[in-house]
Amino acid sequence: MLKNMISEELIVLNVEASDWKDAVRKAACPLVNQGKIKESYVDGIIRAVHEIGPYFVLTKHVALAHSRPEDGVIEGAIGIATLKTPIEFGNEDNDPVKYIFTLSAIDNNAHLSALSDLAGLLEQQEFYEFLDKAKSAEEVMNYINAM
Amino acid sequence: MYKGLVACRAGMGSSMLLKIKVDQVISEEGMDIKVEHGNLDSLIGFNGDVVITMEDVAHEIADKAPYVIGVRNIMDKVEIKTKLNEFLATKQ
Repeated sequence: MLKNMISEELIVLNVEASDWKDAVRKAACPLVNQGKIKESYVDGIIRAVHEIGPYFVLTKHVALAHSRPEDGVIEGAIGIATLKTPIEFGNEDNDPVKYIFTLSAIDNNAHLSALSDLAGLLEQQEFYEFLDKAKSAEEVMNYINAM
Repeated sequence: MYKGLVACRAGMGSSMLLKIKVDQVISEEGMDIKVEHGNLDSLIGFNGDVVITMEDVAHEIADKAPYVIGVRNIMDKVEIKTKLNEFLATKQ
């Protein structure tokens, strides 16, 4: 379940970031602090973008930042970050990015149901409108719990 | 029944979301396609009919599968449906 992978501590709103790297680091920071991933996982995400481009900008204004489990996943989790000012990631179809979901996955199968719920969330225009207006991580968590 | 592979680079997040959306489209449209999920390594030895991946990856692997679909916006079911129909049209 999505709500088992997200918690208030993993949600940050209106983050100010200077560029895409800064944005990815700030979005992933709560996952590092909560012991979900190692710093090396964040390095892995940034390294992969340098090597192969912004492969995780999936839909308009949305990035699903993730890397391989062996880069440093401790526990499966999903973090949510909204950017105060949208940032170019270099994906011409879906830039600029305003919402970053940081995914840590131990293996494929364990996370299929969470991703399935996340897919449902990502296609809801109302969810983004809600995120734009949300004042606190608690509000966002309440929204997700009510789904 | 055509056999498809949904793949992204790491095979962890993007391709699983893409597979969820592709499965939704296939089931809604009653298409005669069955897809599995993997990373780019799964391409080696893949003997199916179509590979579905992100647009930027599609260019790189264009010559590695019989038919390659690149999706720009993985939440856009209309885009996925249109491209799957284009694939099916080549089979008629």
